[in-house]
Amino acid sequence: MKTPRLSPETLLVLERFLERSTEWRYGYELSRETGLKSGTLYPILMRLEKYSLLEARWVVTEEGVPPRHTYRLTPNGLELARAKRAEARPRSLVREPAFCSG
Amino acid sequence: MLATHVRQTASVLLESAIRIAPPDTRDWGRAIRGEMDQVDGSWAAALWAFGGTSVMVKEALVSLVVPGRRTQSMVPDGGLFAKSASLRKGALLVSGACMLVALLFFAAPPFRQAFRVAMRPWSFMYQASSGNLQPGIEALARRAEAQHDPAGMAFCAVRMRDAKESARLAEEAVRLDPHLLWVYAILALRDPGLPEVGRWVDKLKAWDPQNGLLPLITAESIVRGRLPRGDWSPPKPEQERAWRAAMTAAFQAPRIDDYLDRFAELNRKVVPRYRFYDPYEVESRWEAGLPDATAESCERFAMLLLRSGKEFEARGDFVGARREYWTVARFGQMIDAQAHTDFEHRNGAYLQSLAYQPLKALAEKEGRSEEAALLGYLAEKFNPLKGANGNLAGGSAFGHFTSHRNAAVVEVAGLMILVFSGLAGVALSILIAGSVRGAWPAAQRAKPLATLVALASTVGLLFSSVTLYLTYRPYWYIFQGAIRNGDLDQARDLHEFLISTQMLPGLSPHFSRTLLEALIYSGSPSFLFYVWAGVTLLGVSGLALILLRRFRGRPHASPP
Repeated sequence: MKTPRLSPETLLVLERFLERSTEWRYGYELSRETGLKSGTLYPILMRLEKYSLLEARWVVTEEGVPPRHTYRLTPNGLELARAKRAEARPRSLVREPAFCSG
Repeated sequence: MLATHVRQTASVLLESAIRIAPPDTRDWGRAIRGEMDQVDGSWAAALWAFGGTSVMVKEALVSLVVPGRRTQSMVPDGGLFAKSASLRKGALLVSGACMLVALLFFAAPPFRQAFRVAMRPWSFMYQASSGNLQPGIEALARRAEAQHDPAGMAFCAVRMRDAKESARLAEEAVRLDPHLLWVYAILALRDPGLPEVGRWVDKLKAWDPQNGLLPLITAESIVRGRLPRGDWSPPKPEQERAWRAAMTAAFQAPRIDDYLDRFAELNRKVVPRYRFYDPYEVESRWEAGLPDATAESCERFAMLLLRSGKEFEARGDFVGARREYWTVARFGQMIDAQAHTDFEHRNGAYLQSLAYQPLKALAEKEGRSEEAALLGYLAEKFNPLKGANGNLAGGSAFGHFTSHRNAAVVEVAGLMILVFSGLAGVALSILIAGSVRGAWPAAQRAKPLATLVALASTVGLLFSSVTLYLTYRPYWYIFQGAIRNGDLDQARDLHEFLISTQMLPGLSPHFSRTLLEALIYSGSPSFLFYVWAGVTLLGVSGLALILLRRFRGRPHASPP
């Protein structure tokens, strides 16, 4: 499976998707949760979609309001996100004692 | 209220960016636009839209250069100019207006001169390679001879690099107008080895007997006669005696005149008459002053006098010593007082500084403390190492660096005018080819892109023209002042500027210094030039690549 370059911001976005992995998420919502600006967030989403790690669809939320784009991780995306989270976890466990006062 | 306007503007900007983005990314643009309505606060929404705009613009630019995305051009068939015929007409109108205004600049004499100056490095290299360095002067000489105009011939004679032709013209000019005899002095100073020099100096001495310049020319011709090929050999006793006699006459002459005032007067007559507004040839008084070799002779003879003064002093003959020292000081004063060039001024100041020091020591020895203090002050004032003698001939308001930087700007602006004119020409040709009946399909397809290139290049052409005009205009006024009234105000600025534009930056006579500056800090003219040249080259290559891809890579059949 080809994967895109995973920057810290991309990992942050994947982490947010993992929190509610089955839900469709909005761009603005993700932006608020990750603190990423639109100019940073959307290239990440576009890249994830290009590598088939993310699926997107249009949904109509209210009558008379333009439809909104929503996103969800594909099975491949979920697998990658979980693998990356698993890779990151042991490192954090090792680091913690070094900064403990007791 | 303002925030609402900002939000609306940001929204329009984002929608425009979506239009120029590649088709497969437009949905993402619409997604960003849709989310914008969810953002609380107008400023936050505007920032959201600006971020989205940057994403779309980046995608549009990437689509231009990444080969795999050639069907997603910045100007697709449904793109900015293809979509709206009225927009394309508007763009062509703006292009036409820019082109017209840029052409109108050529009606202004300062701009025409600026453009010639901007092209100087290239024309100079071409002239050097063709072996004809002074085509303008040679043509002017032919015209002056045809009209039997002695002033025109003298004007060319003092500038022409071909010594024999120069001497012939000068003699013809003097034959027609004996008041132009001084032209011989300029030529003899420049080339004291000419066989005519002895005869010329005799005539000049009869015409201007008090001028110390003439024995200086004699002394130089003696030195040059001894060094026919520039090889050093010890002087024969009779040559040394003749040289000393000539230098003694020069140092004891009541005055010195390098005839550069007459040179300026000749400029005033000839330049408007022939409309010969070539600043490189006209403003060449700097080269016509006392040459290096003369300064060396002056210094050598001054040293002999100072040594003689020391010997007088050692023998207790203070009067004789003072006479020798004052001879040197007075000669330095004469050169300094009449100086028309920096070099003459520095030479005069240097000779004075050599003399004031021993004069001060002598005054102290004789117990004349007030005179010693004054002479000490003068020795300090004219000390070349202290740089206190800032009253150089030909003022400078801009400074060395500004003149070099302006030269680089003028050269780059001239180059950009050529590049943009070429691009505009190509774009207009494509537009014309695409508009005729039975036009090539490729030309028809390229019309939106050609419109964009035409607009960008004509705006660039106008911008380059304005830059060239505004940068050169101060030098035009300095040049005009120099022609009309021999005004030397800021002449050094013009001189340094013209020298900088003689060759491509980096190859100029100041090459090593400029290169060093370029390495030390990026504000150096040569660095600026190379950066601009690099950017230009990249831009032109990029545009050529895009055009090539448009013609070769697009699908041949357009969907109905």
